[in-house]
Amino acid sequence: MSRPKLRAEKPSTPTPERLQEAKAERKMRRQHLRGRLDFKYSPYLYISPFFILFALVGLFPLIYTFVVSINDWDLLGGAGDWVGLKNYQAELASPLFWNSLFNTFSIFLLSAIPQLVVATFIAAMLDQNIRAKTFWRMSVLVPYVVTPVAVTLIFSTAFDEKYGLINNLLGALNLDTIAWKTDVFPSHMAIATMVNWRWTGYNALILLAAMQAVPRELHESAAIDGAGMIRRFFSITLPSIRPTMIFVIITATIGGLQIFTEPKLFNPSSSVPGGPDRQYQTTVLYLWDLAFNRGDFGRASAVAWMLFLIIIVIGVINFLISGTIASSSDKRRPRRIPGRKAKRVKAHLSGSLRESVNDE
Amino acid sequence: MLVSPHSHKQDLNGVTVNPSRTARLAKVVALSSSIALLAAGCASGDSKDAAQPASADNPVTLTITTFGTQGLDPLYKQYEADNPGITIEATNIDTGGNALTDWKTKQAAGAGLPDVQAVEEGWLGQVMTVSDSFTDLNEYGAKDIAGDWVDWKVQQATDADGRTIGYGTDIGPMGLCYNSKLFKAAGLPSDREQVAELFGGADSTWDDFFSVGEDYVKKSDKAFYDQSGFVWNAMVNQLDEGYYKADGSLNIEGNTALRERWDQLSAAASKGLSSAQTQWDWGKGQAFVDGSFAVMPCPGWMLGNVKGQVEGAGGDASDGWDFADVFPGGAANWGGAFLTVPSTSKHPAEAAKLAQYLTNATSQATSFEEAGAFPSNIEAQKSKAVTGENDLTKFFNGAPIGEILSNRAEGVKAQYKGADDSVIQEQVFGPATIAIDKGTDGDTAWNTALSTLQELEIK
Repeated sequence: MSRPKLRAEKPSTPTPERLQEAKAERKMRRQHLRGRLDFKYSPYLYISPFFILFALVGLFPLIYTFVVSINDWDLLGGAGDWVGLKNYQAELASPLFWNSLFNTFSIFLLSAIPQLVVATFIAAMLDQNIRAKTFWRMSVLVPYVVTPVAVTLIFSTAFDEKYGLINNLLGALNLDTIAWKTDVFPSHMAIATMVNWRWTGYNALILLAAMQAVPRELHESAAIDGAGMIRRFFSITLPSIRPTMIFVIITATIGGLQIFTEPKLFNPSSSVPGGPDRQYQTTVLYLWDLAFNRGDFGRASAVAWMLFLIIIVIGVINFLISGTIASSSDKRRPRRIPGRKAKRVKAHLSGSLRESVNDE
Repeated sequence: MLVSPHSHKQDLNGVTVNPSRTARLAKVVALSSSIALLAAGCASGDSKDAAQPASADNPVTLTITTFGTQGLDPLYKQYEADNPGITIEATNIDTGGNALTDWKTKQAAGAGLPDVQAVEEGWLGQVMTVSDSFTDLNEYGAKDIAGDWVDWKVQQATDADGRTIGYGTDIGPMGLCYNSKLFKAAGLPSDREQVAELFGGADSTWDDFFSVGEDYVKKSDKAFYDQSGFVWNAMVNQLDEGYYKADGSLNIEGNTALRERWDQLSAAASKGLSSAQTQWDWGKGQAFVDGSFAVMPCPGWMLGNVKGQVEGAGGDASDGWDFADVFPGGAANWGGAFLTVPSTSKHPAEAAKLAQYLTNATSQATSFEEAGAFPSNIEAQKSKAVTGENDLTKFFNGAPIGEILSNRAEGVKAQYKGADDSVIQEQVFGPATIAIDKGTDGDTAWNTALSTLQELEIK
């Protein structure tokens, strides 16, 4: 747009003032352009370190893993023949792979469900008017600060079959001892306990933050309408924290499906990672064993990719569910506000305002 | 993986090297010395400096990776003092299992391997599948000194093409640990020599072992040995051919010698001889002091573990553990390590020289004093440091441990170990021995083992 203007001025005799003016103008325009470029592109520059790092340590390994997974790749011997999707086929046919998936989901469900229920309960309690708030809030976070390795060492000693604290207590009560490290269900319970111990408080704090953002007026007016504590919790608190709940569920799912440390160290002396009969060998543990003990890098990479796909599928399901919740609450809101109830509330509020003015 | 002997040696003396600060310092040293090396190379105009012997004018940094407690630390300083120009940058990894993972990753990546790499017998089968990526030490004089070691140790480190890829450090000849107090309480002889006779002396068989066990169980109403896994490993290791035939083919299904031994072991377990302990855990040592079991097959390095377990549970020498010069079914070895020179080393001659020094008679005697690693070097076995008194002999009721282990090392045969030997031991027969300890009958456990073998697709 400005170019023709410049050209039009060119024929006229250039005086020193004009030259200087043009120079200044050009400088300004350059600065302006730089500002625009800066405005347009610098955000990308600022976030680029993350993406460069991600490309190096996230994307590249992801693609490389895929390349490994379509080859017959021995850990020590290196790349062998190209085998296409045979590694995937072999894994899908392997009972050990399915066993690991079963264990992963079993431990995940055993940990995620009680964990969220208890975390919500704790959050609701902390949301009440209690003394020494900070103390209680910090206390529930303490287990999260302890490294999982230490947690696992303590719990694996407590769950020891012969010498463990829990079986000793059961024995003292004349109850049958439980084969925590041999039977499938008890071992899943034990591992889920460790996960719960570590993550419940953390989730409780996140939920607490969400609960505190719920407007107190809602609670107050519901209380005035005669709703009890439990009714208020289910009708006001829970619906209001749903987006946070979804976030907590998604992170718990991703973490739960990648569980490694707890089952790996639950019985560290076991010659087979995840129990002698793979009673609690989760998928990540299985792929680690496949890669570094059995040396089959190709198959292990195939498992890694399948786990990745499974997590994506579950993530998408979670996303869809959270999407419907968000849209349904969006739909509800506009309907509510112009509703009769709202008018009544307004009238009520203005009435009480008037009253208070009159009082003065 | 955790069945590897060195993985638990670290409890023994508590010798650990904290690499963080020293590593940083070492890096600086390494960097400056490599710059110096570069400068020296430029000055002399000789591009083959790496092949020149190291000297004060031609400094060389050698990296070495070891694991557990191999008792080599004091030797590094000595070597540096004796050889001006040599700097040793040592890394010690806590357990044999972690060292294996470390080696495997670096071997797979093709980079990062040290000049001298310690390799454990348990993973030698895997190492041998890539033996060509290690320097043939015969090129650096290994052949001339091969007679210094017990013969089977040298054979273990020699591949099919006759290349010797490692110098032997320690070995794990096996004897029997027994609890003299428990033996006495059951009315059995408790004196070391009488116990050896009780088990059949020089011609001891597994039948002898198990019948003494049945007798003990009857008289004491307690289990005889800790768990079946270690007994089974010893039974397999002393066969001429174990899980693999010498030609490299799998040798489990239809292997009558193996099956016979399995039936013996599972029968014993079903009669209550096994205490069904968790191996490497033993209730954090409790089982060693509460009379749970009275006998354990002990390679030399296990003695330190026994001491550590007993002391960990609050016990001491008065708990009555002793060491007998006898082993059922003939001589057996479990564990031990080698020092190898990966072919990626830029100073193979210097590295081979260092490995040779670290495994010579005097060095091995020092290692024994330092960490209880029983020497594979014959001269070192006879040295005073090994045969004399030490903390271990005091703990084991004054047993002449060095002498007994030298006797036990005689007649061991180097068994061919296939690539998946350790996987079979740990993932196929590990669960099977646990199963028979917990009451599964031998046939079922064996068949489960065979189907596991197929599931793991081991060929």
